[in-house]
Amino acid sequence: MASPATTPDAPARTGAPCREGGERPLALVPVRCCVCDADDADPVAVGEDFEYRTSPDLFLAVRCRRCGLVYLNPRPDNCELDRIYPPDYHAFNFSEGEFGFVYKVRRRLEARRLLSCCRSLDADARILDIGCGDGFHLDVLREYGLPGWRLEGIDPSERAVEAAGKRGLKVRRGLVQEIDLSPDPYDLALMIATIEHVDDPPAVLTAVGRLLKPGGRVVVVTDNADSPDAGLFRGRHWGGYHFPRHWNLFTASTLRELALNSGFEVESLSYVASPVNWVYSIRNRMVDRGSPRWLIDQFSLRTPVSLAFFTLVDSVLCWMGKGCLLRAVLRKSP
Amino acid sequence: MHGAVGAPIAIIGAGLAGLTAATFFRRQGIPFLLYEAGSAVAGLATSFHDPDGFTYDFGAHFITNRLAAAVGVGAGCRTVESYGECVRVRGKFHRYPLGLLKVPRYLSDALRSRMTGSRPADSAAEWFRATYGRAMADEVAIPLLEAWSGVPATGLAASVGEKLGSSVWKTFYLKVASLRLRRAVASGYSHEMPESPDVWHVYPEGGLGLLCRRLAAGLDDSLRLDSPVEAIEVESNRVRAVRVHGREQPVSAVISTAPCHVLARLVRGTDALRPMARFKYRPMIFANLRFEGRGLLPDTVLWIPEPGRPFFRLTETTQSMPWLAPPGKTLVTADLGCEVGDELWKLEDEAIGHRCLSHLDEIFPGVREKYLGCRVLRTPVAYPVFLRDYEADRRRFEQSTGVDGLFSIGRNGEFAHLLMEDVYWRTLKRLRGVVAIPGRGRDLRCAA
Repeated sequence: MASPATTPDAPARTGAPCREGGERPLALVPVRCCVCDADDADPVAVGEDFEYRTSPDLFLAVRCRRCGLVYLNPRPDNCELDRIYPPDYHAFNFSEGEFGFVYKVRRRLEARRLLSCCRSLDADARILDIGCGDGFHLDVLREYGLPGWRLEGIDPSERAVEAAGKRGLKVRRGLVQEIDLSPDPYDLALMIATIEHVDDPPAVLTAVGRLLKPGGRVVVVTDNADSPDAGLFRGRHWGGYHFPRHWNLFTASTLRELALNSGFEVESLSYVASPVNWVYSIRNRMVDRGSPRWLIDQFSLRTPVSLAFFTLVDSVLCWMGKGCLLRAVLRKSP
Repeated sequence: MHGAVGAPIAIIGAGLAGLTAATFFRRQGIPFLLYEAGSAVAGLATSFHDPDGFTYDFGAHFITNRLAAAVGVGAGCRTVESYGECVRVRGKFHRYPLGLLKVPRYLSDALRSRMTGSRPADSAAEWFRATYGRAMADEVAIPLLEAWSGVPATGLAASVGEKLGSSVWKTFYLKVASLRLRRAVASGYSHEMPESPDVWHVYPEGGLGLLCRRLAAGLDDSLRLDSPVEAIEVESNRVRAVRVHGREQPVSAVISTAPCHVLARLVRGTDALRPMARFKYRPMIFANLRFEGRGLLPDTVLWIPEPGRPFFRLTETTQSMPWLAPPGKTLVTADLGCEVGDELWKLEDEAIGHRCLSHLDEIFPGVREKYLGCRVLRTPVAYPVFLRDYEADRRRFEQSTGVDGLFSIGRNGEFAHLLMEDVYWRTLKRLRGVVAIPGRGRDLRCAA
């Protein structure tokens, strides 16, 4: 007979590991599916804030049995946004100084992708970036786009607005549904890695629709909940969950349904290669399983080798129609 | 079709199933009243804390990280790092279930039974012999089943076995994952949702009541404590009202978590539930024996298929959850099958403790010197007993109560051996079905 399983007498901590000052559980609220309004979902993943350790909570991702949307339920209350987006959150400071070579490569890649969405715009087009963070995409457009484009951003985070301001960008703090923006309509809106963070995607998209010119477009880029990496790490570690900050995760069909419900026509729906979810999925698994720090550190936004490798992998998958990110170009319905 | 239009739904019982139902209806915007006979919520999910620092439940329970996350109590739960079960056969301990396959006669009989195939079993005894092989069935499964149910295995329906899950390979895979991850990965625990290395056991700080308290938060307006439902009035085979404190409350539907035989007694105006009055639950005594030291048992759970012992299962909860006893002390829970009012049921706590102790001392010589005392919990409705006599009625009841607007849910209400997580997911699934009945969901919401 093997010896009995023994554990130390010292009380084990409760909940997930968390950073200093993050010991208080978050206020969590139950939610319904934002696409079909059903409250009929099965659990698909249980996880924790592997990346920033902002709270000791465990989080549940569920899949709507009616439409297939994957969403966090329960999720943090809106009053907890400052907790779950800490000052060191990467989107507040994605700069060359911090990320070096990776920043330079990503800037080039993003420039090519963004400009492909802007080909039909006039020389004096108005462009609004919703959830612009530190203004990375606006800055790219300023450098590579037409000089006459009028660029604006909006973000609910004071830190993000401050960082964008330092870049000399015109960014306002607030939510697109609530803020009083210029009455002149926009030609193009960008929602790059934004829709998955917002509490009410239909309300946000509808509000964006009101800000656009007739026939104006919005480009939505978001994690693909049907991608191979999502399948491989489905139960816990998928980087796309980004527990607890990604509240709604779409597939091609749920994104299409959301667009139609919010007054848009889908002009195109395609896949974009990205190494980020691959790298974070592997990193999350290693963090969760106590791998050595030197190994974990090979998988981050600062490690060119793993990023390059998974960019290659995901490019092949994209070519096969299964990329990490979804990109939908939506046109405001007449 | 349902009872009084515009009236709330009555939920009977504020245990895990009743509270899950209440939170479901609240989110659906459907009005309800939650009646609890006792003065507090939690029912069988109650934890007991004695003044000496020991915590124990009705039997040994834990939940999964998935259920904790769903209810929003994950931050207050501790990870259970290990969990294992053993069986004592002919004086030797064997790990369950894979260790039993190392016994040559068990393995050869099991393989032979698999290869020869089998005809549909008429009883639990036949089912176990056909599935596990005669040797393992006769020496392990059937003695345990009989001690647990209090009925010969030939008198039990084959469906007892059908409720057991998990293939050998899946069990092996999850066990390896558990050892590698140092987490008690759930295996054979959840039948409603998939099991995987990402789902493991946790235990809420302060006991299982945390789960129920979180579910009960915000239900104050609809929760009626100290309010036993005295009758359920049925008219033209539809639920019409419930009677509480002698007063009639019109209802649109009744969701009952009461044991089936109790529910059958509550219903007035129909004979549809009369067969359920025969459904039998096995009463159980849980003797919580306290000892000096830790690791008295070879694993967290020890099954003892030995006729003549007062208990058939021993659980040393501190091997999985060391925080349930003060440092350097341990708690062994002995499960004793009994009947309400029999000699065992009437014994004083310490007498039960000493009866267990004399048998424990035979199995683990010297344990008597470490004994610190005993606290006993008794429940008249621990496990459903699937007698062949009423198997046809039980299968009918699985489909429906036979009364429009009357639904029976939860471990006792479904007359099923459901574990904690299954109670939660299964209750949600069944209630979604209730609301999805054409017209019902709309009508129930109209009452709001």
